[in-house]
Amino acid sequence: MDALLLLESAINGALVGLMYALVAMGIVLIYKSSSVPNLAQGSMTMLGAYVVLAFANNAGAPMWLAIPLGIVTMFFVGIGIERVALRRLAGRPIIMILMMTLGLEIFLRAGTMTIWGGTARPMPIGISDAPLFLGPLLINRAYAVGAAIAIVMFVLFVAFFRTRLGVVLRAISDDYTAAWSVGISVERGVALSWAMSAVMATIAGVLWSSVQGADQSLALLLLKGITVAVLGGMDSLGGALLASILLGVVEGVASSVLDPMIGGASRELVDAAMLILTIMIRPHGLFGRHDIERV
Amino acid sequence: MLYRKAGIFHTDYAADRALFPIPADRWTIGLLLLIAATAPLYMNSLYLSSYLLPWLVWTAATLGLNLILGWAGQFHLGYAAVMGIGAYAAVHAVRTGIPWEIAIVLAGFTAAVIGIGFAFAALRVKGLYLALSTLALQFVMDWTISHVQAISGGTQATLQAPDIRLLGIPITSDAGLYYIALVWCLLVTSFMLNLKRTALGRALVAVREKDYAAAVIGVNSFYFKMVAFATSSFIGGVTGAILIGTFYHAVTPEQFSVDVSIQALAMVIVGGLGSIIGSYFGAAFILLMPGVMNSFISWLANLLGLSLSLETLAHLPQALYGALIIVFLLVEPLGLGKIYNNIRDYLLVWPFGYVKK
Amino acid sequence: MSEPIAASVLTLNNVEVVYDYVSLAIKGVSLDVPEGGMVALLGANGAGKSTTLKSISGLLAAERGEVRRGDVRFRGQAIGALMPQDRVRLGIAHVLEGRRVFEHLTPSENLIAASALHSRQDMSRNMEMVYSYFPRLHERRATPAGYLSGGEQQMLAIGRALMTQPKLLMLDEPSLGLAPFLVAEIFQILSRINREEGLSILLVEQNAIAALEIVSHGYLIESGRIVMHDSAEALKRNPDIQEFYLGGAENKNFRDIKHYRRRKRWLT
Repeated sequence: MDALLLLESAINGALVGLMYALVAMGIVLIYKSSSVPNLAQGSMTMLGAYVVLAFANNAGAPMWLAIPLGIVTMFFVGIGIERVALRRLAGRPIIMILMMTLGLEIFLRAGTMTIWGGTARPMPIGISDAPLFLGPLLINRAYAVGAAIAIVMFVLFVAFFRTRLGVVLRAISDDYTAAWSVGISVERGVALSWAMSAVMATIAGVLWSSVQGADQSLALLLLKGITVAVLGGMDSLGGALLASILLGVVEGVASSVLDPMIGGASRELVDAAMLILTIMIRPHGLFGRHDIERV
Repeated sequence: MLYRKAGIFHTDYAADRALFPIPADRWTIGLLLLIAATAPLYMNSLYLSSYLLPWLVWTAATLGLNLILGWAGQFHLGYAAVMGIGAYAAVHAVRTGIPWEIAIVLAGFTAAVIGIGFAFAALRVKGLYLALSTLALQFVMDWTISHVQAISGGTQATLQAPDIRLLGIPITSDAGLYYIALVWCLLVTSFMLNLKRTALGRALVAVREKDYAAAVIGVNSFYFKMVAFATSSFIGGVTGAILIGTFYHAVTPEQFSVDVSIQALAMVIVGGLGSIIGSYFGAAFILLMPGVMNSFISWLANLLGLSLSLETLAHLPQALYGALIIVFLLVEPLGLGKIYNNIRDYLLVWPFGYVKK
Repeated sequence: MSEPIAASVLTLNNVEVVYDYVSLAIKGVSLDVPEGGMVALLGANGAGKSTTLKSISGLLAAERGEVRRGDVRFRGQAIGALMPQDRVRLGIAHVLEGRRVFEHLTPSENLIAASALHSRQDMSRNMEMVYSYFPRLHERRATPAGYLSGGEQQMLAIGRALMTQPKLLMLDEPSLGLAPFLVAEIFQILSRINREEGLSILLVEQNAIAALEIVSHGYLIESGRIVMHDSAEALKRNPDIQEFYLGGAENKNFRDIKHYRRRKRWLT
């Protein structure tokens, strides 16, 4: 195996991984504030992409306007989901909560398909197809842009969590009751984290559909997102970022090594293996802070 | 009313531990069994083989999943994979010349052995992490089945299932297949009904409620979780084999994909965690809902003069199905079984509502 | 106690709390905290002290509890239907049992989080006030609160409650698990806050000796009922209180009495 080719797949893998982090950070945001593992993050990503497309194609807005409009819409969609579906489930067993997010996943995915149809649509956001050259290495331009935006979003979130509102959100994730006792509206905080997560989903949806087109398969990003989130520790944004790079590199290298050997589709296998290994060996992930309920 | 029981008047333990202490229940069940047994005599064979039969088979699957989810309290997102293992094992066994009766038992054991793999995950983590690791195992199974040619016969391949032969007699009539499904479903049901009267059932409930509390009173929670996973996988494996033998007649990996796992999960949730009658309701509801919805939607569209695209028609039932799961969790988290029980409990003392059982 | 007394900041009238629709935790508690006063609610484990406080601060809902009967009035206003954050806005601060600081936040972030309802100016002013009462917190303002000592965490919990600019400060067992000299220090600061800020304080304690030193009045709660109410001085002199709550049987020879036969007088 050519070392240069390996390096190239590692770098491109890391960039793809960072794009997974866009999905994973959405999961982390919600889990951090309310300990709800959001299995609907993938469908929210897909919905976000379609909402942006609806503004662009159906309402005829230019892309630079459609994206912010989509983000604002999804912000309120996120609040709505929390208000309608999750708030009443607070304190219920985890089985119910998981099932609820699964129900949401099905509902949002199929609902999006019902409204907009299942054919893949392009998402032209003006990134050229021409690769970037890094010395002798070919770097996919769209992945590079996505990765850069993921890092920017991470930095924005880190900064946000130092503001007053951010500190309040962190307080909520530490201790619900204590937050109530000092006058923090926990419900609103959780709703806000859903809204932010929906915004992340929209950004992820736009970037991913610019790479592969907007279709039902965007919902499958959930698997990448949740693998990255678990590997990073479920409640650590930084963990998610690092884990995404790790997963991306492993995936990239493994697929360029394994694919010729076993005839493709090794990425899914790598993901599943990473997920199982993480849970078996280090369930609290790389940077998780909560003690996992070990049996 | 029909029920009429205004107190508990058992005079010995046997009466207290009876499965159906109320005579009206016994009558109802007898009647239902009679209806079920004679169904092929009066029922259109289309209804028999495309509604009643899959319902019975899926009920058995739902019961098996309910054993893990409702009794042992362990999340399982890979039940379809377990069923798939059983299905493939049975088909391959029969193709190598093993009689079908033995093949389905083999299928059950194969599924149980691999199902214990899932159990090892459950021994280490629970809640979300268990859900995710079972989900990951589902993907690994999917991948293995579809990529290992010896199992699936190649990617995208469909493997024809040989006809079922019982004691050497080929069973091909709709009625025959229906009876196989009926017998299996009744077997699983009576196993589940009796489970709660056994030490195993009580131990599982103890593990579900608080595993370390169960451990301090001497219930080996590791062992019982393992048994629960193995038993449930056995049921799942045999059910998968029967589903292929009686309904699909051919096996492909897509029949046991993650969507199917979620569908089985939905059957349990809609029916009610830990509820046996609920498993019947849940399976019926989830199976029939898309068809009913489709006809309802086209009827409504005709009525309103709307022309819905094919795409919309294809996805709308799925969306409603997601919505139903959400609504059930919000309105009646214990599902149809609980609703049935509420009605029954009300009728039990009707019209003397003030009488407490 | 039909009309709330004008000078009381908090009045509980015959409050009954039920958890989970079945378990009756307090049955008809009535008490009254005067404006600027300092009142103790004493009682043993499980007597209903914490439940009483939660019924005032509105944190019952989080534990599936509800006020079934009776009313809670804060400065004459019935607050039974308000959300916890609205009660905080009115000026009720609840220092939870077991401190419950935000462990992953630093002390200064803890204080910031607690001023969610206030403007930035109010926040920095309150912060200065808290740091002046608890200089130790200022020293350790950048360490994650989880690493503070028990006493410091308790100070932080009190400081965090003060950030909400309360009119009434309710403390649930601030002495829990602290060394006696720390208890003395914290109680001293509490009475200073009471004097200087004119803040009314409702103190729930098992440590009756320490509590009765600083309060003016005391209520005694037992199995969900208020069984005695008097001034602190009178309570300290009461032989029953001495025996059951103050450990006042020092000069008794236990061989001579059948201690366990002794009935509390208020039960008859």
